[in-house]
Amino acid sequence: MRSLPNWAVTGLSILLVLSAWVAVTRLGLVRDLFLPGPRDLWLGLQELLDEGYKGRTLPEHLGMSLLRVGTGFLTGALAGTALGLAMGVSRKLDAMAAPFIEFLRPLPQLAYLVLLIVWLGIGEGSKISMLFLAALPVAAVAARDGVRNIPPERLRMAAALGASPRQVFWHVVAPSALPEILTGARLALGIVYATLIAAEIIAGSSGIGWMILDAGRFLRSDYAFVGILVIGLTGIAIDRLLLWLERRIVHWAGR
Amino acid sequence: MTALPLTRRSALAAAAAATGALALPRLSRAAPAKVNVGFFTEAKPTMIAKGQGWFAEGVGAPITWTEYGSGAEINTAMVGGSCDIGLATGSVATAAGIAQGLPFQVIGLVDNIGPAEEMTVRTAANIRSPADFKGKKVATPFGSTSHFRLLGFLKTNGLSQRDVTVLDMKPAAIQAAWAKGEIDAAYVWAPAKSKIIEAGGTPFRTWDALDKAGYAIADTIIVHNDFAKAQPASVVGFLKAYGKALGMWRSSPEEAAKLVAQQAGVSPETAMAEMKAYEFVDLPAQTGEAWLGTPGKPGKFAEVLKGTADFLVEQRSLRSAPPVGTFGSALNTHFLQQAVA
Amino acid sequence: MPDLPVPLPSLAAAPPRRPRRPLPLPAYGAGAVAAMLVAWWAVSGGRLVPAELLPAPLQVWQALTEVLREGYRGTTLAENVLSTLGRLGGGFGLAVLTGVPLGLWMGRNRIAGAAIDWIIQFLRPLPPLSYMILLILWLGTGDASKTALLFLTAFPIIVAASAAGLRGVKRQRIQAAEALGASPSQVFRHVILPSAAPMIFTGLQIALAAAFSTVVSAELMAASDGLGWMVISASHFLRNDIIILCILLLGLLGIALAWALRLLDRRLVHWRGRD
Repeated sequence: MRSLPNWAVTGLSILLVLSAWVAVTRLGLVRDLFLPGPRDLWLGLQELLDEGYKGRTLPEHLGMSLLRVGTGFLTGALAGTALGLAMGVSRKLDAMAAPFIEFLRPLPQLAYLVLLIVWLGIGEGSKISMLFLAALPVAAVAARDGVRNIPPERLRMAAALGASPRQVFWHVVAPSALPEILTGARLALGIVYATLIAAEIIAGSSGIGWMILDAGRFLRSDYAFVGILVIGLTGIAIDRLLLWLERRIVHWAGR
Repeated sequence: MTALPLTRRSALAAAAAATGALALPRLSRAAPAKVNVGFFTEAKPTMIAKGQGWFAEGVGAPITWTEYGSGAEINTAMVGGSCDIGLATGSVATAAGIAQGLPFQVIGLVDNIGPAEEMTVRTAANIRSPADFKGKKVATPFGSTSHFRLLGFLKTNGLSQRDVTVLDMKPAAIQAAWAKGEIDAAYVWAPAKSKIIEAGGTPFRTWDALDKAGYAIADTIIVHNDFAKAQPASVVGFLKAYGKALGMWRSSPEEAAKLVAQQAGVSPETAMAEMKAYEFVDLPAQTGEAWLGTPGKPGKFAEVLKGTADFLVEQRSLRSAPPVGTFGSALNTHFLQQAVA
Repeated sequence: MPDLPVPLPSLAAAPPRRPRRPLPLPAYGAGAVAAMLVAWWAVSGGRLVPAELLPAPLQVWQALTEVLREGYRGTTLAENVLSTLGRLGGGFGLAVLTGVPLGLWMGRNRIAGAAIDWIIQFLRPLPPLSYMILLILWLGTGDASKTALLFLTAFPIIVAASAAGLRGVKRQRIQAAEALGASPSQVFRHVILPSAAPMIFTGLQIALAAAFSTVVSAELMAASDGLGWMVISASHFLRNDIIILCILLLGLLGIALAWALRLLDRRLVHWRGRD
């Protein structure tokens, strides 16, 4: 055990969980409503791939969801980062914006779902707005803290060397805050992802989140589990992509 | 699934009728400590029995009332064992639950939905015939009896779900989207139905044709199997309480509407109008062949449930549906018989 | 959050200080909130935006007094706040009690880390609502499934932060302590834990925010009390005044909880940022 490489341990652990799953479902210890067996899941996946779910193919559902997540995340993270940088630079702006950011950050998105429908309608606008609002405060706080944590000597030195405020911002403040901004972006993406189903409640018939909810209504646990697996795996994939990007960019920024 | 073996039933029937519930051996058990009832806030006579405490009297124990968002949620709660009685859950959820072998039985009906759930079209959308629905947006709460009817409407009129955009929306969302002019039609129940009619909607009659075509919908009373077994007296008492409320609705509708209005949070006029749209089936009529039937001789409702489940399989909401006999034996009319005796 | 040692603009521009005394910073915050309230008052209540879209502050205030006086559909406001806090406390507390030790173990023990990490990684991005139905099936509709949902939201974040915190401890520090003759348990208590604590506490703050933002999801199905139940129920009836009241209460409660945890962080991890 001690000499096993990490990937082998992970592989063994995955195998262990899978065989426990097979055993529990094969022996009939749990009903398939509670936990579908591997065969049910496989058949469910094939059905979804062959025939789609309620008028849309599985890739279409996933594509719609990813498009929503992508748009909500990008707009929210960009706006949040811009706001956060400004808050980091100006204490007055920070004092003014902080109450709203702090208010919005832990606010459950489902609480304002109906208001979004009433204000923005049932189209993509309200769904993406919800994801935008989920991403914005997280990105803002990360960018602000990134600016705050810059060692003052660095700023003083730049100023002493005769850099203009604009130059200090672009050449010192922004690059120094970048690592934290990117960490914040990953966090924001996680939160946007977690909000996806809430957003797709708005007026469904598309999206992987809606599919899980709809399948859950009739306890079609095979479809629901396929959906959960798809959402979990794409979530990991996107997170890894962002991590890779983060490493490259931070490296380039020459931390 | 039935509470009593059939052979013993006939022997006991007379005794049960004579001495009320006490003749049954299981009834000697203590009354339950508390009963979990799942319900919806709506304008129906059930609300009288709830508000006046008749249900609690009937089951002989305090009731924990839990409001659910849909019949599907009540099904889920039944599996988890946290719901003893589901009040007025729709026939679609009931059929789905029976098909999946969930641990509950149907002990009675609350109503035949009939015209109470109906299509409403935006007057300005100029929808006159089924063909006019092409390219339109229609909203309905998915998984509901209304959704079932809407899909039946599309199917019987040769419209596919590609011709019409069907959107999954809660009644409140339908109301909000209607106000913004985002949907052209909706299949939903009161109060959202009357609200959208007020806001520029026209009823589009589908229900009678659909009822005939096998898309009849109703609301049922379901009971967890364990509870039915352990507390038959409470189940009978619950039905009797509903019978009492129905009696009041028949004899003094004004007063009934007033009590319902208080519980549902609407005006007595609204309550009256909404209740008039439903057909509340009296308990003795429920034992008729048209509805639940009698023990050993399930009524037509078993076929309605079977048809509903088959349709859900077609929609791939269910994996498979059992034969009609399974639906028949899920109708447990022993309690109904005792309640009307 | 550590305060910036010197205000940035003055640094960057390095101008001579003006004698005028600036307003204290909290005044800016209060001013912004007041401006927001005035703007809300100005546009709402049918002045610019119809009341169905945005109720006026006065209407929300009336909703508050009404709920305080008569309760909301048979529940009092205090009951609703307390039951939500109870579920949150249960789920989050359980996640802290189990997640921190598990994360530390995973950080210390390579095998444990490699065996469990993939589960945590998988759980982390899952939307809580996706498995709510399963939790109800497995645990019923009572508080157990609701608390479990909040637990599962917080747990992976806490585990990941604790493991990362432990892995981030500088090797030299441990070696130095060992060279000075510290026992493994002493090293753990006096070197590793204090060094990992800032990261763990940051994780706790993120986890609390995540769990808090899930309270409405937890009370979406089959609840009969709680602030989340209240806002969902008000949504069914399109009672915008109650919805906004609940949003304000939830937001303020979220701020208060985050603030309390930050205070605890400052007390317990007073060495933060002085590495």
